[in-house]
Amino acid sequence: MMSDGGSIKKVKKFHHDTVMKYILMAVASVTVLIIFFIILFILGNGIGAVKEVGIWNFLTGFTWKPSIGSYGAMPLITGTILVTVGAILIALPLGLGSAIFISEIAPKRIRNILKPVCEIFAGIPSVVYGFFGLIVLVPLLRNLFPDHLLFGTSWLAGSIILGIMALPTIVSVSEDAMRAVPKSYREASMAMGATRWETTRKVVVPAAISGIAAATILGIGRAIGETMAVMMVTGNSAIIPAPLWNFFEMLRTITATLALEMPDVVSGSTHYSALFLLALVLMLMVLAINFIAKMIIKRSKRKFGDPTVPATSSKKMRAIASAVKNTPRTIWGLMLISVFMMTFILSAVIQSDMLVSFICGIIVAELFLIFTIGILLVPTGDERIPGKLQDTSKRSYMISRYSSKLIRSAVLTGAFVFVWMMASLFADTFVSVLTAFVFLAAMIAVIPLAKRLGSGIREKIAHISLTGVVAVVVLVLIVLIVDIVSKGLPALSFDFIFGYPTDGGLGGGIFPAIVGTIQLVVGTMMIAFPLGIVSGIYLAEYAKNTRSTKIIREAIDILNGTPSVVFGLFGMAALVIFLGVGYALIAGCITLAVMVLPVIIRTTEEAVLAVPKELREASLALGASKWETTMKVVVPAAFGGVVTGLILSLGRAAGETAPILFTAVVVFRSSISFSLADPVMALPYHLYFLASEVPGSTTMQYGTALVLLLLVLFMFAMASVVRYKYNKNIKW
Amino acid sequence: MIDTNVMDIDKFNLWYGEKQALIEVSMNVRKNKVTALIGPSGCGKSTLIRCMNRMNDLVDGCRVEGRMSFNGQDIYDKSTDVMLLRKKIGMIFQKPNPFPMSVRDNITYGPKIHGVTKPDELDEIVERSLRQAALWDEVHDRLEHSALSLSGGQQQRLCIARTLSINPEVILMDEPTSALDPIATSKIEDLAGELQKDYTVVIVTHNMQQAARISDYTGFMYIGRMIEFDRTDKVFSKPSDELTERYITGRFG
Ligand SMILES: Nc1ncnc2c1ncn2[C@@H]1O[C@H](COP(=O)(O)OP(=O)(O)OP(=O)(O)O)[C@@H](O)[C@H]1O
Ligand SMILES: [Mg+2]
Repeated sequence: MMSDGGSIKKVKKFHHDTVMKYILMAVASVTVLIIFFIILFILGNGIGAVKEVGIWNFLTGFTWKPSIGSYGAMPLITGTILVTVGAILIALPLGLGSAIFISEIAPKRIRNILKPVCEIFAGIPSVVYGFFGLIVLVPLLRNLFPDHLLFGTSWLAGSIILGIMALPTIVSVSEDAMRAVPKSYREASMAMGATRWETTRKVVVPAAISGIAAATILGIGRAIGETMAVMMVTGNSAIIPAPLWNFFEMLRTITATLALEMPDVVSGSTHYSALFLLALVLMLMVLAINFIAKMIIKRSKRKFGDPTVPATSSKKMRAIASAVKNTPRTIWGLMLISVFMMTFILSAVIQSDMLVSFICGIIVAELFLIFTIGILLVPTGDERIPGKLQDTSKRSYMISRYSSKLIRSAVLTGAFVFVWMMASLFADTFVSVLTAFVFLAAMIAVIPLAKRLGSGIREKIAHISLTGVVAVVVLVLIVLIVDIVSKGLPALSFDFIFGYPTDGGLGGGIFPAIVGTIQLVVGTMMIAFPLGIVSGIYLAEYAKNTRSTKIIREAIDILNGTPSVVFGLFGMAALVIFLGVGYALIAGCITLAVMVLPVIIRTTEEAVLAVPKELREASLALGASKWETTMKVVVPAAFGGVVTGLILSLGRAAGETAPILFTAVVVFRSSISFSLADPVMALPYHLYFLASEVPGSTTMQYGTALVLLLLVLFMFAMASVVRYKYNKNIKW
Repeated sequence: MIDTNVMDIDKFNLWYGEKQALIEVSMNVRKNKVTALIGPSGCGKSTLIRCMNRMNDLVDGCRVEGRMSFNGQDIYDKSTDVMLLRKKIGMIFQKPNPFPMSVRDNITYGPKIHGVTKPDELDEIVERSLRQAALWDEVHDRLEHSALSLSGGQQQRLCIARTLSINPEVILMDEPTSALDPIATSKIEDLAGELQKDYTVVIVTHNMQQAARISDYTGFMYIGRMIEFDRTDKVFSKPSDELTERYITGRFG
């Protein structure tokens, strides 16, 4: 080194840096291959159903009854959508309220408690939620609505449970969005004499709106892909509720159908293929939702990142707007009347109830009205003639005047329809319409009154309601945990932990399930860790912004949003059947590994990216190669973050049921086997099995749920400790 | 000539937790005058100015002692309506901080909060405030554009217009020009002089020339204390304290 006479020429042709780069890239490409295989298997297996059933019949058929060869997916698609809509209606107000509370109102101390609480919520396995729903919520609903619910399992139960499950996503993402709103906005508002609540409502929430929208959509994505919990509480009958908003009906989601029917289906049959087609539909739904979320996030980034872009509308919108504006009023009025008449006649034909039809007509006509006024407000560009002050101020006057009216009438219409729909489930048409009208009148009367209250009082009311919302959310979590702990503790004993199940699950212990879960977790770890960490480092340190990198990232995102049951399907088709592995530990591990891979990659990448550039530059400036810098400086610095991600993903793997349902688990094993080719028992599946198939095993169920919960929460606690220590030791 | 005092500050102390940031500060703010606060970084200028409309209430662990009054009423009295106080004592910040809304919505925000609902009235306020802030001619034809699309100097004037929209008596400015280029700075300086006719202005600045040019009174602060407070011409021509002299002549430290 010292003796080469000041030369700065390359000594070796192939520097180890380049070699390492290609090795890393090769490993990262494996991820892409996996995606490719998943899509290949699902498409390949689904194609049969397309041929035999026909895509149109499949999507629009009203009967799903494989036993008679009827494969109409409509009820399943509807079921999936309905249960998700219900879940969001529950989760959005609660989630947004909690997020506002945590970000804007709570003192630091309470915030520091609530954030981990939120993480616990997110970490509880789906099957435990389902179990809780089945054993606590379902009987509760049955007692509350004895006339409407024969069994208690229903759309309502499904939506409540899914709503609770979607909450943590909504809370944490929208809380992040609100926290990201610059402090200066809040100061500016407060400095003008606005209260904290006014500031929150009029500045913080609007500024964070795209983050909140993205949070909601991510929550929807989570709810749509959920399997075990929905399957346990919705009753699983493949019918479309009548009327469509009857949330007391049972329904069946796509995910539940996959989980219920896949284990018994004959490989290669039409039924088998139809299930894959269903999975494809599910994946497309989730993809669409994630795509929308991504677009929104991207847009909001652009909005904040490049403020010089004024908020103008697209060319197409402007064209439509000027077309609407140039339409003469008479034509417009005629259109309005015909919209009303058409709705009226159509609904009279369907429902043969004049009153209902009339109301429907009015509502649709009003929606039409709102819509057209909305279009009118889109700037077309032709109003802004320079020098003509009068025109501009007139236009803006219109906008400021109408947009709030528009929002108000839309909200009122929505509320009216909603109340009417809900009331119609409990009373006849006349009474329910009356109720809705009374409600509408009350709203119209109360709104001006509320406006007259002092801002201080309004702030108090808002704070009390938000505190109430958070109290409800926390209460639910407390009830869930206390219930499981208090009833599960008595079941715990030496024999329970170290014994084998007896009497078909009624007695004995869960030793093989505990061991099986540990085996699955360890196996998953050994496969997913190397792949995930290397891919993560590659993406953060080496990947340039080329086309292939984009494809890799895209693949990871797709993998990340894919519902867990789809991984199960893939595992079954590719490993169990195609490779002939059969139900085996190895099949379960690979399936779970593929599932957690994106989480590991993403957290690794983020942790590595969080290492300050200065550290790298310091090392590179000393003449270290990129590879040396990465290994000796960057990775050690990112270690805490990486480990946290790893533990979290293991927690997820331990609690998942759907991916191992048809790849690795059996109901009972009489001995522990360490062979990779043998099937295993697992805690989540054991809990599901006991809860749904073994009546009278309540104590065993609670015991199993508790052990599973403890196992998963232990992992999360470990992750928190690691993160805490790491945050304390390293600061930049 | 005797000027009337809008604000009186007497032996005022402030602590951030354990750390005392203001020590026995006394000064007053004269009506329809520009009062400048100068002093080295970290001496407590921002802290003092943020006390005047109680923006420091937002800081955890902040504690005050002593008397600060506005038109004879104690600002820190329990019976003070902080929202009303802030309506009467507006504030402009160091970095322009318009809301991410349209220009119009930025200005109507304050009036709406304080109960103005009539569109005509709001329109009038928009035009009046923008004219007062010398911004109307530049933005009248893009009132519906995002305020973030304005230049930095325009944004700061928009913030001033936003504050003017609720007719404050006092306008506090914390280094309003430090993020701006010289041309935008001189526009804001001119504006501060203009505003003096109808409002009372308190301005924090690091720029000696600026203080000398636009202010009637100047306070020099040093490590939490008000070293000297007097008419600007006096502070700059024959300061009574040696520290002040060294600071304004740039022979500091
Ligand atoms: N929120 C806070 N918490 C704790 N200490 C603070 C806080 N804000 C300011 N301080 C401290 O109070 C002192 C005065 O700060 P202040 O911001 O008022 O100074 P300044 O004169 O405005 O300085 P500059 O000219 O740099 O803006 C400083 O020592 C600062 O560290
Ligand atoms: Mg300052």
